[in-house]
Amino acid sequence: MSLKDYIFTRILLAIPMMFILLIVIFFVLRIIPGDPVLAILGGKAPQEVIEQKRHELGLDKPIIIQFFDYVGNLLKGDLGKSTLTSRPVWSEIKDRFPATVELTLFAFIIAVLIGVFWGSTAAAHRDGIIDVTARVYAVFIYAIPVFWFGLMMQYYFGMVLRWLPVAGRLSPIVSLNTKTGFFLLDSLITGNWEAFIDVLKHLLMPGITLGLVISSIFLRMVRNNTILMLSQDFSTAARARGISQRRILYKHALKNAMVPILTVMGLQLAILLAGAVLTETTFSWPGLGSYLVMKIRYRDFPAIQGTIVFFAFFVIIISIVVDIINALIDPRVRY
Amino acid sequence: MKKFLLVLLLIVSLLAFSSKVLVVGTTDKIRTLDPAKCYDYFSSNILQNVLSGLVDYEINTSNLIPSLAQKWEVSPDGLVYTFYLRKDAKFDDGTPIDASVMKYSIDRAMKLNGDPAFLLTDIVESTKVVDNYTFQIKLKYPFSAFVSVLGYTVAWPVNPKLYPENAFYEGAPSSSGPYKITEWIRDVRIVLEKNDKYFGPAPKTDKVVITFYESAATLRLALETGQIDIAFRHLDPRDINDLENNPNINVLKGSSPQIRYLVLNTKQAPFSNPLVRKAIMYAVDRQRIVDDVFVGLAQPLYSMVPMGMWSHKDVFPERNLRTAKRLLQQAGYWTDKPLTIDLWYSPTHYGTTEADVAQVLKESLEETGIIKVNIKYAEWSTYVDYFLNGTMGLFLLGWYPDYIDPDDYLWPFLSINGAKSMGSFYENPVTESIMKAARICVDQEARSELYAQTQNHLVVDVPNIPLWQGVAVVASQKNIKGVLLEPTQIFRYYLIEKK
Repeated sequence: MSLKDYIFTRILLAIPMMFILLIVIFFVLRIIPGDPVLAILGGKAPQEVIEQKRHELGLDKPIIIQFFDYVGNLLKGDLGKSTLTSRPVWSEIKDRFPATVELTLFAFIIAVLIGVFWGSTAAAHRDGIIDVTARVYAVFIYAIPVFWFGLMMQYYFGMVLRWLPVAGRLSPIVSLNTKTGFFLLDSLITGNWEAFIDVLKHLLMPGITLGLVISSIFLRMVRNNTILMLSQDFSTAARARGISQRRILYKHALKNAMVPILTVMGLQLAILLAGAVLTETTFSWPGLGSYLVMKIRYRDFPAIQGTIVFFAFFVIIISIVVDIINALIDPRVRY
Repeated sequence: MKKFLLVLLLIVSLLAFSSKVLVVGTTDKIRTLDPAKCYDYFSSNILQNVLSGLVDYEINTSNLIPSLAQKWEVSPDGLVYTFYLRKDAKFDDGTPIDASVMKYSIDRAMKLNGDPAFLLTDIVESTKVVDNYTFQIKLKYPFSAFVSVLGYTVAWPVNPKLYPENAFYEGAPSSSGPYKITEWIRDVRIVLEKNDKYFGPAPKTDKVVITFYESAATLRLALETGQIDIAFRHLDPRDINDLENNPNINVLKGSSPQIRYLVLNTKQAPFSNPLVRKAIMYAVDRQRIVDDVFVGLAQPLYSMVPMGMWSHKDVFPERNLRTAKRLLQQAGYWTDKPLTIDLWYSPTHYGTTEADVAQVLKESLEETGIIKVNIKYAEWSTYVDYFLNGTMGLFLLGWYPDYIDPDDYLWPFLSINGAKSMGSFYENPVTESIMKAARICVDQEARSELYAQTQNHLVVDVPNIPLWQGVAVVASQKNIKGVLLEPTQIFRYYLIEKK
């Protein structure tokens, strides 16, 4: 299969995947008990108001019509309006998404740095002190619940040492002209250094918490794959030619070890984007994860659907990109 | 030396600047700032600080006083209210608040039929501009608590230049109150700054920054680490006790019109039997809920009308297990043939303490030896669905008033339509007619007597059992002065200052 065909097939396959997901989300939300109109209005409003609201939201139509209406609007790029705030879901996602991306990328960078450097060094010093520590760290950190870890960080660095702010994205008295919604970027663009430092301080604790938890996955993979590569013939040959251990590790073994790991990293980034819920809730980080939790509580159908579809779209795009990169690096995956 | 002085100057000026900014933290969220749509506490609270209504509540009381309306008259038949508006009130863009603005705003709220619109549409027949500064409202029927309804933000004027006639407005309002909104990053923060065009006294603090937190735990941490000056809604009751022992924090408790109660579905067996309802009424242990769950941060309540409100009367009896047992036996239940019932609660809607409340209630009812209680729960959206459809027989609910009047604590629960929407399905034509008479009656003393009679009916029919009245709590840094927890629940940022 040519690369062009491969990309085309990969994109084509994503369409039924999205459609199945849409069907599942749409119908599951409506099968489980709970009425969004009642969740908003409670028992205080008279029946006519409840009926009118239901009509306004199209919830009085047959479920199948509601589904096709929804898909029709979705194809036009309309994710609907939140039943809770009446704002377009897309605007709400746009408000929240930069916060999630900022946190996730920060955490991801930490995880990759720890994973790659510690993992490869551990492989080079197999069974040595660095390797044993890395293995213990990986198991330990993976087993810790992220919210508990977050709370401990808040207690120690926020309460005891008072080094870092415990929650939020920006200090209340620091002003920032938000243009993109990415606060780090916004503060850089506007040359607002006070805000830049403040945003960075706010990002540190949740970013490190999330990053450390994910780092264990990368660390183990990098270590195992590098050990495998170091035992391959090309490594032995390189050693025989007198090439330094450091060069063999970084130039030969790690480079080859990273091919499958990149796929995992790519997907992990996508999962991170969708799964930072606990970290966001613990640190009151106003991202999409905490938004989704709030919307689920109020059965805000359009908002829940919109957010999940958005996340799914994102995960699919990233997985396609990762697959394409893989196909470029290793032509065997195309067959 | 020069450098040192410069740095010192910078620090001093920064300190001086920051002392003028009040930082408030909350776990609430703003849903909308359009009065025609706003029907949740925190959004209303922001509006109460940036807009003005025809009437306001006297600070720290529940007495209505003139605000935009300097005075008002009621026609002898109680149907026509004429308001004489002050002439110096304007929005921050200079638009005067006259009778046409009032008509535009109230007509708009009714036409858009947003969540709180029924408070007006149920009563208001029409509105009329008499002259530039005289405004009239005609009612469908005489309703003595009508001026109290005008105290709620749904009836407050909006700037016609900003708020469209046929659609809700999702932005920040044009201010007519002590503060104007200068920055609003949804779910991150909202900034209020002094409104120079406000006709009333200037706020004590020029700038208030309200920051939003996701959980009570982070709100507490933010207060303890000095990130915020005030934590307002919602700290965990157990955290409040800890904060009281913190020498750097002030904890202020005030009365709250929020009540919590049990609903008994009078149409569902076994609660359709008045003897069973009365037995439960005698068996509930209010004091234990208050002591064990709220560690003293609530007060036992013996009427649906909260304590501190005129006409309140302690009608419900104190706990009496012997009477409860006797009533159960009369209803045909014995130790060998116990009464098995389900008690429902919603785990997130009323905070984290709800499961504990249900457990204490279960234990207190089971102390009779004749009742067996199964605790059940459902998420809020399901819960509302269940109680409107009569699925649940016995369940916990809470009430925040829409307007400060005993009518709002009796009519919604006991009127035939109201009781359906609150899950008790209670019907009593006598109670209904007494409440209707109270709605028409203008004299407060006579109304008080009618409400006393209505409250007496509560103990006979027991469609609801009041349990406790909330205590409003605010925790602040020691240098914060002027925080008031008012009976109306209006939290006025403009009275607070940093010393």
